[in-house]
Amino acid sequence: MMSQAAARLPHTKHGEATIMKKLIFNTMILVFCCGVISSAFSEEVICFESRKGASEVTKHDLQPGLPNVKCSPKTGAVLWWGDPFDDTVPLGDMPLLGHISPDKAVVKPRSGKLTILPMCGVACHNGVGPAFIPPTLPKDKKPKPLPMMETLLPDAQNLQHGRGGIWCLDCHHTTQRNKLVDNFGDPVSFDQPQRLCGKCHGDKLRDWRDGIHGKRIGEWASNGKKRWFVCTECHNPHNVQDGARNKGFIQIEPELPPQLPKGMKNANHEHVHGISQPHHGASSQH
Amino acid sequence: MTHNKIPADHSTELPSKCQVQPEPEDPSEVNSRRDFLKTGAASLLGAAALMTQSDDAQANIEWAEHFQGNYRLMTDQEKVEARARLEKRYSEEYGKAVTVDGTPAKEGVLLGYALNIRKCIGCRRCVKACVAENNQSRGPDAGQRIEWIQVMKMARGEFTKDKMADGYPESQGIQYPEGLGIQVGGNAYSPAGVVLEGEYFYEPEAVPEKDATYMPLACMHCEKPPCVKVCPVRTTYREPDGIVVIDYNWCIGCRMCMSACPYWARRFNVTTPVLPKAEMNPKTHYLGNRPRMRGVVEKCTWCIQRNRIGRYPACVEVCPVGARKFGNLLDPESEVSLILARKNVFRLKAELNTFPKFFYFFD
Repeated sequence: MMSQAAARLPHTKHGEATIMKKLIFNTMILVFCCGVISSAFSEEVICFESRKGASEVTKHDLQPGLPNVKCSPKTGAVLWWGDPFDDTVPLGDMPLLGHISPDKAVVKPRSGKLTILPMCGVACHNGVGPAFIPPTLPKDKKPKPLPMMETLLPDAQNLQHGRGGIWCLDCHHTTQRNKLVDNFGDPVSFDQPQRLCGKCHGDKLRDWRDGIHGKRIGEWASNGKKRWFVCTECHNPHNVQDGARNKGFIQIEPELPPQLPKGMKNANHEHVHGISQPHHGASSQH
Repeated sequence: MTHNKIPADHSTELPSKCQVQPEPEDPSEVNSRRDFLKTGAASLLGAAALMTQSDDAQANIEWAEHFQGNYRLMTDQEKVEARARLEKRYSEEYGKAVTVDGTPAKEGVLLGYALNIRKCIGCRRCVKACVAENNQSRGPDAGQRIEWIQVMKMARGEFTKDKMADGYPESQGIQYPEGLGIQVGGNAYSPAGVVLEGEYFYEPEAVPEKDATYMPLACMHCEKPPCVKVCPVRTTYREPDGIVVIDYNWCIGCRMCMSACPYWARRFNVTTPVLPKAEMNPKTHYLGNRPRMRGVVEKCTWCIQRNRIGRYPACVEVCPVGARKFGNLLDPESEVSLILARKNVFRLKAELNTFPKFFYFFD
């Protein structure tokens, strides 16, 4: 159904920052945060932009009467942006995108949405200490089950990407664990996943660069300012190969169907036609 | 609507024409004519006072709105006045500063739309985003909920051996006298005469469903729109940048356009539209999302209030799979032009020669 990442609870910014700073007092602070969150939820409306659990945004007013987003009452998805460039930063260097001026292409940074990312660079995987001299790289490409990682990252238990051909360190940097890795072993920011994904999905990267693949909001002119959506805003890289989806995405909850015309009790007539039930359909049509 | 405000004596409107006539010889007649002119002028002033200086501002606006011309034939000044009138009325009605834009089409722009039919997952977010943007009616009763986009679910076709006979009349137990396994029209799975058959009211727990293909339908902004051809009052027309628009004030609600449209794109306000004040989008365009009245037809304008100032339509921005693309067909670098150059593209019901500017494509 929904991605497992969706199970992660959204935190308030305040709570998030506190957890980053003081890992040791995690539990204490969490208890403290519970009170803050429960009181904050009574006023705050949190919707998600493209993927539930990975692109949350808090509803607020840009100006009196102009909300930053309008959300669906049924699914909680963002339906409408008051300002498409709210909270965005320049896309940054991208090969073959020299013709687009930096202020015309903006993205929403992903790092802020990844709740455990700040920990990745400091706690266990900071690349310093006796365990890393010389770097103790795994001997084979079989991920070992690490109970803590599996708790933090439920997706990691069951990687659905590459049909068994790839593993963690094909995408994540060996020593800088708060970075991804490109073709040449250089670290890539989590804000620019396209530089990593394009390694294998070159055709998609080309289409994305030209605006044919993926999503952009803002101005429609080819030289207009646009907010680009990067790969991981829409795709969960850990379960893109999910068997339940049949079109490149995990299944999501749909919005409500249209209103039935006056006098129509239900839409059962739609199930009786030539395609789904050839024999019944034939009798009703002729 | 405002008939009680109109002066009862319509003869008072005549003297303006009489003034140019030469004065007659007979003094008595002169007097009577002069008296008549005097009373006429007085009544005219009275009527004018009623129209412009009455305390009931709403009634004045409605009066003026009622007698305004076809938007296309108005002078620039009249257009400005018409929009100002509407801004005043809407602002009072909805309790916020409503703007009614009138930005005309840009030179060198022919708008086009492309939709990736293989990507669409049928989530209907475009439908709801359109409603959030375009001030459609959203009441609870039948006929009060208007949506410009409809998403149709179709069975995904596949050519398997056991299904090969489907769609032929004989396979469905129908015996035609001339039936020799010859199919006339239709395709292998759907009998002749059945076009675009599918489900509009599907409501699963999650989409996309297995073996389903989703096809969103809305106004195709045809180059030769049948709806424009049939409109008896010429209130719907094609703008220079390719958007087919409606002047709601000039619409008589005959619904000829609805029956002419082969894409079922037009909606009719059967009831007085229900639009809560809090949900009303105050950024409107005269030809687009300004609040409509009862008895007029409305439809997709590719969010004219947004695209005329450079912004993507709401449905393009909301699509979670990025299936919707929008741009200038005359710009070879635009997204739509690149799709036309590189992808497999088709237009719905191309055989009708409506030349839609809405293209379906697949990777």
